[in-house]
Amino acid sequence: MNLEVYNPKNTEEVLDLLNSYKRDAKLIAGGTDLVLDLREKKIKPKAIIDISNLDELKYIKKDDNYIEIGACTTFTDIEKSEILTDNLKGLKKAASEVGSPQIRNRGTIGGNICNASPAADIVPPLLSLDATVVIKSKENIREVSLEKIFLNKGKIDIKEDEMVSSVKFKNIKGKLGFYKLGLRKALAISKIATAIYIEKEDNICKEIRIGNGALGRHGLRERKVEDYLINKEINEAIIEASATLLSGEIEKRLKGRSSLEFKKEAVKGTFKKAFKDAL
Amino acid sequence: MKEIKFNVNGKTHKLNIKEDERLVDTLRNRLGLTGVKEGCSEGECGACTVIMDGETVTSCTVLTFQAKDSEIITIEGINGENKIHPIQKAFLDEGAVQCGFCTPGMILSAKVLLDKNPEPTREEARKAISGNLCRCTGYNKIVDAIIKASKYLKREGN
Repeated sequence: MNLEVYNPKNTEEVLDLLNSYKRDAKLIAGGTDLVLDLREKKIKPKAIIDISNLDELKYIKKDDNYIEIGACTTFTDIEKSEILTDNLKGLKKAASEVGSPQIRNRGTIGGNICNASPAADIVPPLLSLDATVVIKSKENIREVSLEKIFLNKGKIDIKEDEMVSSVKFKNIKGKLGFYKLGLRKALAISKIATAIYIEKEDNICKEIRIGNGALGRHGLRERKVEDYLINKEINEAIIEASATLLSGEIEKRLKGRSSLEFKKEAVKGTFKKAFKDAL
Repeated sequence: MKEIKFNVNGKTHKLNIKEDERLVDTLRNRLGLTGVKEGCSEGECGACTVIMDGETVTSCTVLTFQAKDSEIITIEGINGENKIHPIQKAFLDEGAVQCGFCTPGMILSAKVLLDKNPEPTREEARKAISGNLCRCTGYNKIVDAIIKASKYLKREGN
C-alpha cells in the first residue's frame, strides 16, 4: 500500500493537499469513524491528512449576528463552552450525550456532519438552528444550508477538493430543546434524537424548527409539524396533536422498515420531551 | 514508514511507524506498554484508554502519526516506575479489580477526573468512567475506589 500521511499546520496547507490528491485523500480529525473504516478496508486512500491539531479550526465565537463553530471543535469543547448560553442548552446537551468522554474529547462537529450518519448526534440541533456550513477549497469559499448538504446516508454534497471549515447560525431569541433516546446512558447510538427550537410570544408559537435524527437516511426537518404548530397557542392538547401528526409522518417515511412499529410510538415521547425542554 | 517524535510517560521517543498504525499498536508492540489493553477495537469499551495531552482518548481510534509532538501517559507511567499511585492503592483497597482488563483504562479516566476535580461526587465519578466498560464489578466498587482515591490524594497534599 502506498499511503502518505500529512500533518499540515494550517488550512491553506490542507487545501493545497486536497487540491493535489483530490479524491485519493481523506481528512482525519477525531478518527472515531475513519480509523475503523481504514481497518475494515472500506476506504483505501492514498493520503491521510490530519486536521485534529489545526488550532485555527477549533473555536466557538459570537458576534452581533452569528455564532460560529470551527469544524475541528470537539464535542467536549461544545459541552463546556461558556459562549453557548442557556437558551442553547439543546446543542450542549446533544454534544454531552455523544458516545463517551474519550469519544467526545476527539470527535468533532465537522466530522459528525461529514460522516453523515443518520444518527449523527449534533445534526438535529444544528438543523433546528437553521445552521449554515462554510466550505472551503483552494480557489473558493461557499456557504450551504446544513439541511441541503445531505445527499444520502453517509454522503454529503462536498467536492473532492473541499473541506468543511465551520458551521454558523444566527443568534437566537427563543430556546433550543433536545432529547435523545438511546439504549443506555453512555455509549449509545441514537435510536431517535429530536431537537426543537421555539420562539414564542404570549404563549403563541411564533417560530418553530424541528430537527430529527435516526428517522430517515440523514437528519431532517419536520416541516409538516412545523407548519401545523406555527401561530398556535402552546398547550398540552396542541403538543399531543403534534406528536400524533409526527408519528403519522414517521409511519409514511419508515414504511417497510423493521424499526417502524417501535419508532412510530417512541417518537411521540421524544418529541414531547424535546418540546418541553424548549419551553 | 514515517518518523514521529512524541513523549510517552515522560520519555521522548523517536519512532519509525507505519502510516496507518494505530496508537494502541505502537504503544503495545513498539514500546512494550501492554498495560494498554485492546478490547473492542472500535472506541466503545475504553480498555485502550490513554491520556493524550491531558485528556483521555481511546488509543484504538487514534492514528499514531496524529500523536506527533503530543504527551501520552499510560498506566505504566502514572506514577513513575515500580511505585504505586494513590488511585491504584484505592482500587486495591476497595476490591475494585476483578479480572483487571478494564482497570488501566478506568484508573486513567479516574486520574483525569481527579486532576480537574479533586473532590468529585459519585455521580461525577460515574460520568467520568462512562466510557470504560467493566463486565465484572458492577461499577459500585470502582466508584467507591475513586471516592477513596480523592481522599488519599488530599491527604498526600496533591
